Amino acid sequence: MWKEIERRESGKIRPHLFASRLKSRRVASMQLSNSKDIVSPHRGSINSLQVDLTEGRYLLSAASDASVAVYDVQQPQDYEGGGLIAKHKSILVLDKQHEEGHKYAVSSAVWYPIDTGLFITGSYDNSIKVWDTNTTQMVMNFKMPGKVYTTAMSPLATSHMLIAAGTEDVQVRLCDIASGAFAHTLSGHHDGVMTAQWSASNEWVLITGGCDGAIRFWDIRRAGCFRVLDQSHSQLGRRPPVLSRVTAKASTSKVLLGGQNTSAKTGMALRKLSYSNGTKQASAGKILAKTSSKQRLHPGMMSIRDRATAHYGAVTGLRVTEDGMYLLSTGSDSRLRLWDIKSGCNTLVNFETVRLQTNKAIQLAISPDSSHVFVPCMASVKAFDFWSGKTFMTFRGHYENVNCCWFSSRDQELYTAGNDRQILVWSPFVSQEMEEEAALDRDCWSD
Amino acid sequence: MAPGRSRKRKIEDEEEEREAPPLASSGSAVDPDESLEQSLTFSDTLVALQIMRAQFPRIEKVSIKPFVLRSQLYSSVMDRTQVDRELETLRRAKTIRIFKLNTGQDDHAVMFLDDYINQIDSVVKKMEEKKLLNLEAFDWFKIHVIDTRLEPNISHDDLCSLLSLGGRVKEEHVTLLINGGVIVRQLIDPGMYWFAIPSIGSVLKGLSQGRKELLGLLSRKRYKEEMMATLEKKRLRLSPLDIRFHLRDLIGSGHLKTVSTPSGLVVRVSKD
Repeated sequence: MWKEIERRESGKIRPHLFASRLKSRRVASMQLSNSKDIVSPHRGSINSLQVDLTEGRYLLSAASDASVAVYDVQQPQDYEGGGLIAKHKSILVLDKQHEEGHKYAVSSAVWYPIDTGLFITGSYDNSIKVWDTNTTQMVMNFKMPGKVYTTAMSPLATSHMLIAAGTEDVQVRLCDIASGAFAHTLSGHHDGVMTAQWSASNEWVLITGGCDGAIRFWDIRRAGCFRVLDQSHSQLGRRPPVLSRVTAKASTSKVLLGGQNTSAKTGMALRKLSYSNGTKQASAGKILAKTSSKQRLHPGMMSIRDRATAHYGAVTGLRVTEDGMYLLSTGSDSRLRLWDIKSGCNTLVNFETVRLQTNKAIQLAISPDSSHVFVPCMASVKAFDFWSGKTFMTFRGHYENVNCCWFSSRDQELYTAGNDRQILVWSPFVSQEMEEEAALDRDCWSD
Repeated sequence: MAPGRSRKRKIEDEEEEREAPPLASSGSAVDPDESLEQSLTFSDTLVALQIMRAQFPRIEKVSIKPFVLRSQLYSSVMDRTQVDRELETLRRAKTIRIFKLNTGQDDHAVMFLDDYINQIDSVVKKMEEKKLLNLEAFDWFKIHVIDTRLEPNISHDDLCSLLSLGGRVKEEHVTLLINGGVIVRQLIDPGMYWFAIPSIGSVLKGLSQGRKELLGLLSRKRYKEEMMATLEKKRLRLSPLDIRFHLRDLIGSGHLKTVSTPSGLVVRVSKD
């Protein structure tokens, strides 16, 4: 470590490289924190965790007993163990006693991305509430047609303030904070929507994963989704080769996605462009299939007919990498898949997951330099290497299934929470040197 | 008889060393007319597939061509991502075909295309003996559908349009294909047909029961582990497939793990 500092000082290594080496060394030594403890007031399993994006200081957690709590993870309230263990208690708790609190389980709680003055909670009592943090008052209430599974706000948005809500209804709803009404709905899924994430590169693109196993990309300015991820489209590597040809797969007739359909106006001829990178031979002759239903659909809504699935089961977790290039998804088929967003292909990286929980949504975390993925696997959290899929570390500490985890890149700390109502902190190992003060005489015989 | 019987090794290089020479002489799935250029280099996955195909157990009552489960490949090749990618390349080159099985969540069976065609032919022969009609559906299936559709599933409309390249398609043709076992319907999705291996039903039942039996056998032990040398001599009661098949499958899917000890490999039930 001192050698590295010396080299940085003399200019042999660049500052960014120095910082990233230090961070990766710290991540490799992560274990259950022996100096930090978060005291959780929840009486039910914890469903979501989020640290605010602006300061990285406040942790928001949502639990199944309709309670939501905020903790300060940098300043402890109390010290224990002779000043060695910092106790972080909740600075704000909202539960059933609050007159506008939720009645049933809160499935997701997210901070307003611009500052920590507002946060948004979505619950199984069919409502999404926007709260003012300082006065702990509800500012807005949106009524949903079904249980809310997920809420998301875009961290890049400068021209809209929309909350994307995924419920057990097949439509994804966008709620506008500025006006207090629903902006519009996105249809295309065939079953409830369990996860939603906004794109990290475009403020208008939303990615949702449904219980029907499909992952859809929506541009909210247009109708219908512009891409559905299909697990059989794959590419063998990080990026598709530069000279990949877009071949018209003429032998199968499938729905063309988005607004690229030239003859969509008649609704009779459907063609599909496939982005696969193998040497596919285009068979002679094009086959035009007549649509069986005579209903004329808007060209943007053609994507409803596309039944491609990304997982053999429900999609239970989604996460976009910080550079916006790759998407990770987990499914109830206990598989974790890595997708290249630009080409829409499965990169076929095999993560060694044996079992993942299937009935609830899980929250994954990715380290900012896209080197590790943290996935809750039943009662432990596993860290995988991003590109080889090998298990890097396993964090065992929870007594029951883990539902959510959040990686804080400022301090290289991982916060995990699950059905055992605890929030555990995993931080890089720092050896506690025993203080050399005069130890108190603790003998109990007379001197 | 089969090479490598005495000691099962999970290190893939040593398997290759021992198995490759006898395999080259038997020439299981290698076309003798293939030029040296095409068969000069092997991928690890291809060698593993050929080894396991040669080790497929003989079942008396059912005539079924060898197939390999995907989890078995994971247990023998070190890098899983490489297995996935090589399977994808082989699938696109039409050397193998991948089928989704309905035992468990993510089971896939890999079969060489030649074996699959032979299996279909044997089904057709059986049907001819029973004097059933409309058997040209199988020919259309072999020529048009299998060649073009490489994914494990196909929708009803696509199937009809592809079969109609051979002749006029009637409902009876599709019914015949389902009765023959080359296409099945799965409950998750009503509009989709999945490709299947004919007459595999009893083997699949044996597969799931054998898995349960083997896991139960090990879980009942005091320390939930057993030496691989003693384990591989056992015979499973409920499954026609041999124990080596099940061991590879369970190790690859993560339910069992192997630990190397001074006296050999030990198989242990993995707790997650």
